[in-house]
Amino acid sequence: MVTPTRIDDLIDVVRAAASDARPLRIVGAGRWPEAGHPVQAETTVQCRALRGISHYTPGDLTLSCGAGTTLAELDDATRAHGQWCPLLPWGDDAGTVGATIATATSGPFAERLGRPRQLVLGLEAVDGRAQHIAPGGRVVKNVAGFDLTRLLTGSWGTLAVLTTLHLRLRARPAVDESWWIRDGEAATLQTFARGPHLPLAVHRTAGGSKGLDGDGWLVRLGGNRAAVESARAALRGCGTLEPVATEVWDRVRLIDAPPSRALTWPWTPLAHRVRAQFDPAGILNPGLLGEVA
Amino acid sequence: MSLLATALADVVGAAQVLARAATLQVYRSDALPGLRALPSLAVFPATRDELIDVIRVLATHAAPFVARGAGTGLSGGALADGITLVGLHRMRRILALDPVTRTATVEPGVVNATLTRAAAAHGLHYAPDPSSQAACTIGGNIAENAGGPHCLKYGVTLDHVVAAMVVLPDGEVVALDRGDDGGYDLLGAFVGSEGCFGVVVEVTVRLTPDPERIITLLADFTSVDTAAEATSQVIAAGIVPAALELMDAATIGAVESSVYAAGYPRDAAAVLLVEVDGAAAGVEADVVHLSGLLRDAGARGVRVAHDPADRARLWQGRKKAFGAMGRIAPHLVVQDAVVPRTRLAELLRTIEAIGARHGVRVCNVFHAGDGNLHPNIPCDTDDPAEADRVHAAMTEIMTACIAAGGSITGEHGVGIDKLAYMDALFTPATLDAMCRLRDVFDPTRRANPGKAVPVHACREWHAVPAARRVVA
Ligand SMILES: Cc1cc2nc3c(=O)[nH]c(=O)nc-3n(C[C@H](O)[C@H](O)[C@H](O)COP(=O)(O)OP(=O)(O)OC[C@H]3O[C@@H](n4cnc5c(N)ncnc54)[C@H](O)[C@@H]3O)c2cc1C
Repeated sequence: MVTPTRIDDLIDVVRAAASDARPLRIVGAGRWPEAGHPVQAETTVQCRALRGISHYTPGDLTLSCGAGTTLAELDDATRAHGQWCPLLPWGDDAGTVGATIATATSGPFAERLGRPRQLVLGLEAVDGRAQHIAPGGRVVKNVAGFDLTRLLTGSWGTLAVLTTLHLRLRARPAVDESWWIRDGEAATLQTFARGPHLPLAVHRTAGGSKGLDGDGWLVRLGGNRAAVESARAALRGCGTLEPVATEVWDRVRLIDAPPSRALTWPWTPLAHRVRAQFDPAGILNPGLLGEVA
Repeated sequence: MSLLATALADVVGAAQVLARAATLQVYRSDALPGLRALPSLAVFPATRDELIDVIRVLATHAAPFVARGAGTGLSGGALADGITLVGLHRMRRILALDPVTRTATVEPGVVNATLTRAAAAHGLHYAPDPSSQAACTIGGNIAENAGGPHCLKYGVTLDHVVAAMVVLPDGEVVALDRGDDGGYDLLGAFVGSEGCFGVVVEVTVRLTPDPERIITLLADFTSVDTAAEATSQVIAAGIVPAALELMDAATIGAVESSVYAAGYPRDAAAVLLVEVDGAAAGVEADVVHLSGLLRDAGARGVRVAHDPADRARLWQGRKKAFGAMGRIAPHLVVQDAVVPRTRLAELLRTIEAIGARHGVRVCNVFHAGDGNLHPNIPCDTDDPAEADRVHAAMTEIMTACIAAGGSITGEHGVGIDKLAYMDALFTPATLDAMCRLRDVFDPTRRANPGKAVPVHACREWHAVPAARRVVA
């Protein structure tokens, strides 16, 4: 296990591995389960020490941090300014920002608050050729150059090791409340979710797994007071509302995670060509996405 | 006719191939003034199969080519210098429009505003709204990852593309998606690739429900500084307007003297056009909050427009501002750069000083809410001395934006126009990685050669001769 503390150390590790075609297993905090196919590698590179917030101007609603920064650390830093980076992925907040972006893991609020690909403005990474690259930037709109940021988001550490992420933040909703509807009908809730009130999430819960008593629907509303009040009034038409604490979503994120997308990775000819360009020696997480070595 | 022209004529018919210089003049430029280049051939496929066959013929002849939508691009992206131009304006069918899934599948030549008009019957619209939306095509929008005023809230083209069918330069047809079910995000990599990765054959985009309530505010200011500071304060307050646009006195003057007059106060140093939309109750609360905030930030007056006709008039001035600047000089150099939103006022001061130093007049009309500047310079690019001064001023403006932690383009692309600034923005290793991404799609570099990323940055590419020669 190596735990680089500086990008230069990481570059050395990758360069050495590439030159003797030695596979590396790339992990964030190291608590993410195998995506489905275990990586056979003697060396594990842990990114946890590439951590900390290097840049944060609340007025710009942008933040840069090391890949090893945990979601909890990110949440603490931004909460103080009434902001958040609403990745809120499946799993818990002990996971790292780097792993969340590398796996493009979204969560129950992705539809409304943005998927990883919409929340990453730019990044730094070391690719399989040991090249330190820095595509994108820190501003919220940017079309300069071909979009390596999008390519690396969701590439599961098979093209490059992410070291720094430039993220888009949003203001936390002024009013944020969650409701449980035991007697909700799928059709009415789906119609509610389509607008005009645009809830933060409408989520089906099954079998009391949330500490709630039986099946039902969880709905989260957010916005200014008037918006939330009118949304709540409309929601009453969907069933009987019981208030629940916002923390219920932490349990939802842990329990209701969908199966890993890595299991169904389509190895098209284009995908092979991408891999060959960025990791020609095949040393980064080989086998994780089920490719035939 | 050349062998290539004959082979192309076999696909699309002789009438849809242009080979004479006189008939090719129309395609000599896009909306970027000052750069002109004549294609050797132009070919106009009408269907998906024709387009695929055209690209296959070009591949057989190892011929480089440039796709062209409406030619409204502002970075020279659609210029074809001595190579084949593939015009897509005949491929303008909406193939499917599904109000339940809120998606539409279209051919690349469909005009942006046409799609929105078709969706209107279902209470839907296509959210990315470049100011050129009456002319530009969805294919061109994807190639440039186009933005527009309402992208502040709704996101740029990238956020609205669900899937695309693309013909790669070697003639292979591939389906790209966002990787939501696994797979590299090749669609994300393709959007914004400026025609260098292949040609969009068909695309499925998301349609957005029309908001229940839309209210437009016009705030006017006696200094540009205060208007810019007000923008930063709105953003920092956490309100996400649907749009937040700034126009300065030079722009207001041009608009108000034109047929697009929108009723902007002529004595204002700057106006902010702010739009809020969504469910009615929330929108009205936002308007109260915003009006107070804008006044506290120094607005002399805040006009609130509820009525659609009133709102349309306020927007017409903004959307036609570039056109209105045609009153000032024969050409308009439209610039595009991005800065962090807290630094807008500072950068606008810097830009004014740069303009004054070079004796050029800068008209600012831009997407203030996301820090996306458009410092435009009305000028005569056929006057070499003036063109030099404009160029010098633009270079300094770009340098200042990069130094502020910004970018050289927020929505118009690099094309040819901005190649020279790429080395200042990205490291050699990053530029080389961009070349490698291109190699995935177009290893022979025949799609829009010489655009978007400087060729000298591609380490493994030096052996291949440059296919471009642009005449000014
Ligand atoms: C008055 C005015 C206002 C504008 N306002 C905005 C704005 O608000 N926001 C904004 O983002 N832009 C704006 N633009 C710029 C321009 O309209 C956009 O870049 C638009 O997306 C270009 O579309 P087009 O069809 O004209 O493309 P073209 O200019 O024809 O081509 C642009 C690029 O796209 C490539 N291309 C075209 N079709 C395809 C295809 N099917 N497959 C692959 N590549 C293709 C071309 O090769 C070229 O590189 C404005 C331009 C003008 C003149």
